[in-house]
Amino acid sequence: MFRFKKQMAGVLFLFATLFFSSMATAGDLPVYKLGIDAAFPPWTWAEKGEIKGFDWELFQYIGEVEGFKVEAADIPWSAIITALSKGKIDILAGGLSFTCKRDEVIDFALPHWKTDYWTLVKSDSKLNCVTAMSNGANVGAQAGTTGYRWLKEELKDNGVKINIRGYESVELGIKELENGRLDSLHVDSPTARGFIDAKRDVKYICKGLHFDYSAYGVTPGDPHHLIEKINSGIKKAYESGKIEELVRKYLPWASVEPIPYVVDYKKMCSEAK
Amino acid sequence: MEIIRILISELPQFAKGTLIALEVLAGLLALGLVLGLAIALAEIFGNTVVKFFATTLRKFLWAIPQLVLLFLVFYLPFDLNPVCAAIIALGLCSSAFQSQIFRGAILSVQSGQIEAAKAMGLSKPKIIFYIVIPQMIRLSIGPWTNEFSSELKDTSLAYVVGVVEIMRQAKYIIAYTFGNTAAVYLFVGVLYFMLTRIGTYFFYKLEERLWVPGFEKRS
Repeated sequence: MFRFKKQMAGVLFLFATLFFSSMATAGDLPVYKLGIDAAFPPWTWAEKGEIKGFDWELFQYIGEVEGFKVEAADIPWSAIITALSKGKIDILAGGLSFTCKRDEVIDFALPHWKTDYWTLVKSDSKLNCVTAMSNGANVGAQAGTTGYRWLKEELKDNGVKINIRGYESVELGIKELENGRLDSLHVDSPTARGFIDAKRDVKYICKGLHFDYSAYGVTPGDPHHLIEKINSGIKKAYESGKIEELVRKYLPWASVEPIPYVVDYKKMCSEAK
Repeated sequence: MEIIRILISELPQFAKGTLIALEVLAGLLALGLVLGLAIALAEIFGNTVVKFFATTLRKFLWAIPQLVLLFLVFYLPFDLNPVCAAIIALGLCSSAFQSQIFRGAILSVQSGQIEAAKAMGLSKPKIIFYIVIPQMIRLSIGPWTNEFSSELKDTSLAYVVGVVEIMRQAKYIIAYTFGNTAAVYLFVGVLYFMLTRIGTYFFYKLEERLWVPGFEKRS
C-alpha cells in the first residue's frame, strides 16, 4: 500500500510539472531568434556575459510594444546572412546595411538608421581625402561590407587607381594602417568612432562620402509577419523618443536625424540598375 | 593596465567558454572514437566491400579541412544547434585520425596470438573482443593523447558557426575595447596551454599504469 501511494504521488507530481510547464509556455508571448554578431559595438556586443547595444535595446522595446520576445543567437558576421536566409534565425539585427543584393536573399524592414562611411588614415599621415584614395594608394575595407563595394564600384571600376585590400575584421585593417602597410581604411562611422575614441593611432580625413540605410532583416518570405511589427515598433520608438534616448546613449557624437520612414526598396534598386 | 582589469572581470565568461569548449571536445572525441573504431575494425577485419567503403570514408574525411566540414554540417537542412554541428563536424574529422591510431594498435597485436586464439576455437568476434581490443586500448593511449590535444585546440574553430567558446569570448573583448588584440590572444594562448597540459598529464599517468609489458613506453 505504501509503495502504491508513493508511486501515485510520483505520477501526480510528474503530471503536475508537465501540466504547469505547458501552461507556462502556452501563456507566453512568441519568442523569436534574434541573430546578432555580439562583437559589433555600438550595435550589439557582449560584455561580462551580458548583451548590450543599440539594436539589442531597441528590440527589447519593439518586442514590448508589439507583443513578442526575442532570444539572442550569436553568430559571427561571416555566417550571419546565410544563417538568416536558411531560417536558422528569425531576425537579423546589428548594423546590417540594406543592399539590393542582400534584398534578393533576405527581406528587410524599413530603415532605422543612416550610416555614413569615414576614411581613416594614420595620425601622422599627410594624405587628404583625395590623395588617400587615388594615385595607387592602398585602401583597406572590411570584406563583404558596403564600404568595400563602394570602393570597387564607384572608384576602381571608374578608373581611379587604387589597390583595394579586403580584411576579415576592421581590427585587422586598423592594425595594418598603424603599421603603415595601408594608406587609408574605409569604415562605417560608428566603428571608426570607436577606434578613434579608444585612442588608436588613426584619424579620419573624410566623412559622408556615401550613406547606407541600416535595417533589420528577416527570413525570406517573412513567415512570422515580422516586418509589419518591426516597422510599427520602430515608428513607436521614434515617436516616444526611445530612439533619441538610444542615440544619446550609444552614438553620443551623432545627431538624431528624422528617420526616413518610407523608403521604397524596389524603386531604389530598379533605379540603381 | 586597463586590459588586465578587463580580463579579470571577464574570467567568469572565460570559464563558461572553457566549459563549452570541453563539452564540444568530449562530444567530438566520443563520436570520433566510436566511428574511428568502427572504421578501423572494418578496414582490418571486413570483407572487400566493407573494406572499400570504410577506406573511402576515411580518406574522404581525412582530406576535408575542419573549417569546411564545420560550415558544411552547420548548413545541412536540419535544425542543428551550433554546439551539435561543431561536435558532428569535428567528430567526423577526428574519426579519420582516430581510426588510424586504432588500426596501428590493432596491427601491432602479434599475429601469433590471433593464430593461437583461432587454434583454440575462438570465433572471429570473440577474438576481436577478448584478444585484440583490450591490447589495442592500452597501445593506443599514447597516440590518442596526441589526438586529444590536437582536438582540444581545434575546438577553437567552432566559433565560426556560433559556438561561444574561448575564442569567441576573446573576440567579444577585442571588439568592445577596440584593441588589446595581442594581450587578449596571449591570455587565450596561456589558457589553452594550461588545458592541454592538464589533460595530457592525466593521459600520461594512465598510459604509464596500463602499458603493455614488452612494448616501448614514454620515459
